[in-house]
Amino acid sequence: MEPTAVDPIRYEMYFHRLWAIGEEGRMTLQRVTASPIVAQGGECMSSFYDAKGVMVLACSGHLRFAAATSQAIKNMMEYFQESPGFYDGDQFFFNDPYVAGSHTYDMMVIKPIFHGGELIAWTATSTHTADTGGVLRGGALEVFHEGICISGLKIVEKGEFREDVFRTLTGMCRDPQYVGLDMKAMIAGNNVCADRYLGLVEKFGADFVEAAGRRMIEDSEAKARAKLRSLPDGTWVSREYVTTLDRKSRKAVAQQLYCTMTKKGDELEFDLEGTSPQTDTDHNSTFPSTAAHITLALTNALFWDVPWSDGKMRPVTLKVPEGSILNCTFPAACGAAPRVGNVLVSTICECVSKMLYAAGRADDVNASTTGNLAYAGGPGYFYGGHTRDGIRVAQGLYDIHGAGMGGAPLRDGVNTGGHMNIPSAGISDIERIEMQYPFLYFTRGHNPDGSGFGKYRGGLGSYRLYWIYGSQDCSVDYKPYGGVAQGGYGLCGGYPTGKSVLRYMVDAGMELLDRVKDGEYPDGAGMRDGTWGRVVHPDGVPERVALPEGSLLIDYVAGGGGFGDPLERDPALVLRDFGRGWLTAKIGEEVYGVVLSDDGRSVDTAATQSLRERARAERKQLGAPPSGKTSALDPGQAAEYDSVLRFHASLEIARRDGQHAIRCVHCGHLYCGPEENYKNYALRRIVDLNDYMEDALPSGEPYIGEYHEYSCPGCRVQLQVDLFCPAMGGDPILWDTRIDV
Amino acid sequence: MAEAKDYIIGIDTGGTFTDVVVMSPSGEVWTAKASTTPDEFSRGVMDALTEASRVLDVDRADLLKQAVLFKHGSTVATNALITRTGVKVGFITTRGFEDTTEIMRAIGRVDGLSEEEIRHATWVTKPDPLVPRERVLGVRERIDYRGEVVVPLSRQDVMDAIRKLVDEEGCEAIAVSLLHAWANSKHEDDVRALAREADPSNKVFWSFGSELAQVAGEYARANTAIINSFLGPTVDRYLGGLQTKLEEGGLEGPFLIMQGNGGVAHRAHATPVSNLQSGPAGGAIASAYVAGLLGHPNVITADMGGTSFDVGLITEGYWRYAAEPIVERFRMLQPIIDIQSIGAGGGTIARVDEETGRLLVGPQSAGASPGPVCYDSGGEEVTVTDCDLVLGIIDPEYFLGGRKSLNKEKAEKAVEEKIAKPLGLSNVEAAAGVYDIVNSKMSDLIRQQVVRTGHLPEEFVIYAFGGAGPVHAGGFSAELGINQIYIFPTSPVFSAFGVASADVIHTRVITCQYIFPAQPEGPNERLDTIEKELGEAMTGEGFKADQVEYRRFFTMRYRRQTAGVEIPLPWDRMTDERLQELQQMFETKYEELYGVGAGYTKAGIEISAIRVDAVGLVTKPELKPQPVEKGDGSQAVKGKRNVYFTRPERGFIETPVYDNALLKAGNEVAGPAILELPFTTIPVPPGARVTVDRYLNLVMEI
Repeated sequence: MEPTAVDPIRYEMYFHRLWAIGEEGRMTLQRVTASPIVAQGGECMSSFYDAKGVMVLACSGHLRFAAATSQAIKNMMEYFQESPGFYDGDQFFFNDPYVAGSHTYDMMVIKPIFHGGELIAWTATSTHTADTGGVLRGGALEVFHEGICISGLKIVEKGEFREDVFRTLTGMCRDPQYVGLDMKAMIAGNNVCADRYLGLVEKFGADFVEAAGRRMIEDSEAKARAKLRSLPDGTWVSREYVTTLDRKSRKAVAQQLYCTMTKKGDELEFDLEGTSPQTDTDHNSTFPSTAAHITLALTNALFWDVPWSDGKMRPVTLKVPEGSILNCTFPAACGAAPRVGNVLVSTICECVSKMLYAAGRADDVNASTTGNLAYAGGPGYFYGGHTRDGIRVAQGLYDIHGAGMGGAPLRDGVNTGGHMNIPSAGISDIERIEMQYPFLYFTRGHNPDGSGFGKYRGGLGSYRLYWIYGSQDCSVDYKPYGGVAQGGYGLCGGYPTGKSVLRYMVDAGMELLDRVKDGEYPDGAGMRDGTWGRVVHPDGVPERVALPEGSLLIDYVAGGGGFGDPLERDPALVLRDFGRGWLTAKIGEEVYGVVLSDDGRSVDTAATQSLRERARAERKQLGAPPSGKTSALDPGQAAEYDSVLRFHASLEIARRDGQHAIRCVHCGHLYCGPEENYKNYALRRIVDLNDYMEDALPSGEPYIGEYHEYSCPGCRVQLQVDLFCPAMGGDPILWDTRIDV
Repeated sequence: MAEAKDYIIGIDTGGTFTDVVVMSPSGEVWTAKASTTPDEFSRGVMDALTEASRVLDVDRADLLKQAVLFKHGSTVATNALITRTGVKVGFITTRGFEDTTEIMRAIGRVDGLSEEEIRHATWVTKPDPLVPRERVLGVRERIDYRGEVVVPLSRQDVMDAIRKLVDEEGCEAIAVSLLHAWANSKHEDDVRALAREADPSNKVFWSFGSELAQVAGEYARANTAIINSFLGPTVDRYLGGLQTKLEEGGLEGPFLIMQGNGGVAHRAHATPVSNLQSGPAGGAIASAYVAGLLGHPNVITADMGGTSFDVGLITEGYWRYAAEPIVERFRMLQPIIDIQSIGAGGGTIARVDEETGRLLVGPQSAGASPGPVCYDSGGEEVTVTDCDLVLGIIDPEYFLGGRKSLNKEKAEKAVEEKIAKPLGLSNVEAAAGVYDIVNSKMSDLIRQQVVRTGHLPEEFVIYAFGGAGPVHAGGFSAELGINQIYIFPTSPVFSAFGVASADVIHTRVITCQYIFPAQPEGPNERLDTIEKELGEAMTGEGFKADQVEYRRFFTMRYRRQTAGVEIPLPWDRMTDERLQELQQMFETKYEELYGVGAGYTKAGIEISAIRVDAVGLVTKPELKPQPVEKGDGSQAVKGKRNVYFTRPERGFIETPVYDNALLKAGNEVAGPAILELPFTTIPVPPGARVTVDRYLNLVMEI
């Protein structure tokens, strides 16, 4: 199809100006909002749509919203065209997660733009607002419990602010001022966007604006398709796990997210068949939420250089089984959809990263940014109750944006790099948090041993240790300890997760004040061994628990996954991390095979070398190829193959006489043809997570998964670490990469 | 303070040149320059003074002796931060928070990067912290948000930390920043006392967060203390050495240092971190000074050089500060003049996107090396300068006053192959397209800057700076609906000019919370305290109480908002009535900024910060107006050439070229015209005209 013809120079001016207007809208929004998640966490978005609701351009902000709003507009056009109709000056409030968005907390205000009496475009502004009324976070069983849920209601009518609607909506929330300021912020953002959009129509002409909008969508599609064409064809598979509360047993239960990604030519398909059925908690994702999270995963990992319009998703097909945790059936509750979504993003990115590696795009390859064992369990971060000033809140405290980023082919992951979903995410200063919320922090630091091990380790996540101080009414959502890695992946032999601290609470009481005055200072080890009081794990895992004043809590934010075999990590980096308190000597030896001198100030080179040799030998002693043999081919011919495509740090496809084979790039070991899974011929060692983890879960429950470590039969380099949950079934030997030769 | 014969000397050490401006109170101005000498910056300063004495035809010693004020801005601090060549620093903080400056509020991964860079999410990393984690030590102590001590300071921890950092690690400087020291500096004061005990000879350079900023936000405050210590010894050594040289050379008057806040301060009162960004600050002061002279309340300063386009604003006669300025990717708490930058300059690359056929201009830049195609130094990508050349705006033989000759043929060939052919345009259409697109993008950035302040671009005039600024100013101004552009023949030494005319300024910003309905006593007491401190500083600067002007600002917001609106106070102290009026002022300003109906009184209103600037006005020369002579400037015409204009119609016009040096005050040059200056070129489109005002500034009206 020929692209829409527009004057290239005016088009370029128009493009940049439309983006600048969206930025102006977002800046307005961020300054008017009361919400730190919006103002500092960046969870918001301004965007433009054509007359039919197709997104023309989204500006920076929370990527989830970039994908979410089109459907809301299309739906409103279907239902409200006749009654109440759309008029110049109208603005609609919307937060129905079964149409668009991820959960009811994703709120948007949508404004039709009129020119000469005709509806020519739409603009929308979105925020993640922490309160919708309903039951407090964690307790919802149906979407009806999740507060206001509006599929389009005029909050501004023909330019008149509807005080009645505003009062009704905010009046249903615990924290009407907070929600009200967010609504005002979205209205203000839309006003800026719409006024300026009309200025564009005046300057460039309505026909040009319409044609340019169409062209922007076409251009995004063209860019996306070109990007896809530059990548090898093939099929990639990933499998990740989440846990939630089983309401009958009051224990954690696992679900699996299963993704088959097929790339052919300039098309990309995601088939999520194999994903677990929906749950009877709020731990579900609607189809719109799933689509939004896949879009954001692709925006970050694959289409980062493609302008943000709906066009970039045109080459992408989604198949999501109905009634699954990724496509829940109304009226399932879905408050925790973003958490499912985070794991989904990881599941998608695992496939995409492997595809990008095979295309030689090292700068674009990252292991997971989220994923830690037992991450789900214990007290969460959705507070409820009263602030110090006596204001009733249902507020999240977003230290969660301090996640570690994934390890990369040539460097460690970025420590506390933010949140992949929001390019400019940040966490608040503790001083600012303490001015509002009834907490006193004793630590916010990098999480030792907490990120995926590898030649290049995952970026460190953060942890915090804080004490409830200054409020008699405070509660938090609570989750059972899942005991399985939640959405992490390593690449090329790196581990999906580290060995993290756990999240739990201790009844330290107000006497903590006297103890710290006397020179004691709380830390994680002391919390674990009871120095600061009894570890509280409430019976029956209630959805929410009270946090009496004096409670001491520890929790952490996920670190990134690792890249490459940890035994190949530069010992100097192990020494450095040890010196910084980011790695224990024990892990240094056990995982990295690095022995430090007694004073911890240098590497014992000889001991390191022999330990690493022993560790490699152990891979052979304790591991075995699942097929019973280490090659399907004649290993003697390895040298006769010519390299064709390197799809993995240690593996390539090579060719001899028109025959293709998978070969180790280091030692030349021949595995099998590319139409087979190399893992069948690699050394596999199965490590029970109960042996892997240092600490037992506070609830006494076991860990419920295994790490399957695959290494090369020739040189023993670690190739892949898969997580497998036997209870969930499926093929333990995941065939993750299948390149069409 | 000044007598009739006294000189004011302003020196600005930039990256390439060290500029000097000497002014006499009667309004005479002399300028001179010398090469900057990065191996020993003070040599360049002395060289520049020698040049100046030559221009004035006086002895250098006499020039210095007659200087009533010697003011100096230098890039030494900024340069040391860019090249990470400060000293070895240790950092002492509250135990449990040793990773704060590594965590960087997570936003440190993207701070200081452009939108395009940020979008490549898998690739973006954090800068290395100035203090590696090994030299960050926590001490037991804790103060809460009200300023109450929760955990007393462990003296033992402090002494251990000092010993480790100084004796074992060999740190030359230490920074201290403790949680909530903005609310109560007691523990930092205690550390200072212990430091004196441990380091009686004061051989270590100490910085304290609470001394540099009384604002909540531990990450940026810690950075501020660390940067101050990182730069401190370097800046001190430099300024100390220079002061000695100057005093030996004859200087008797005070030696004042230019600060990023737009004011000068005595060396003893100017912290090293305040030296950052003094160059751009000099430019802003000069602009504010000229704006006062010309009666412009609202000015956009637009500086377009080789790689970047920097925009600053003067509103109601005054410049603005950034809330948490980011310098070299580090977020700080310092009053630094707010200047925004995008990658758009003469070296910005234009190319046609393979997949979509879009004509993309920027953000990549060819920089100075290899530079544009026309530099003939190996550059192969078409740049904005190449297009300016193809359009005939720039003379290949008179680029930078003839200091560099350009290869026009090469530029034309590159434009044709890389842009014109793929788009099916003629060569000049393609070049004109690039010219228009870059202008349009710059106008977008300017607009963003302006609307953030609650103003509209039409209320402003533009001051255009830099080699490429005047070349493009006509274009981006028209996009903004601004029809007055000022270009200053003195602009290459504008920073030095600003330094010379700077007042002494000390600024304090504090975090507070006064919730409405508020009582006047609280804010008044804070104002008393702040002004007492500032008054003492100004006494140290040699000002009497009645010579100091206080400018007061309250930051106000609806409760629980993160951002606030800064309101200049028309009063010195508050009363009940004034508080009511203040609330009204805030709500009015708020609706101006964010639209009618955006305000939400029911959410509650609070004062969240107080800022006071103490300004000691120093003598400023009256610039001497020139006698005005009518005329069309034809005496200055030095030739003609074909120039392509995109306004009001597109096409080549045979255009007279004027030598600006020959234009006289009062001359009016009608477009189409080209005005050539030694550092830039001004295309005057048909229908527009340039007037030379009585100060020899060029005023283009379009």
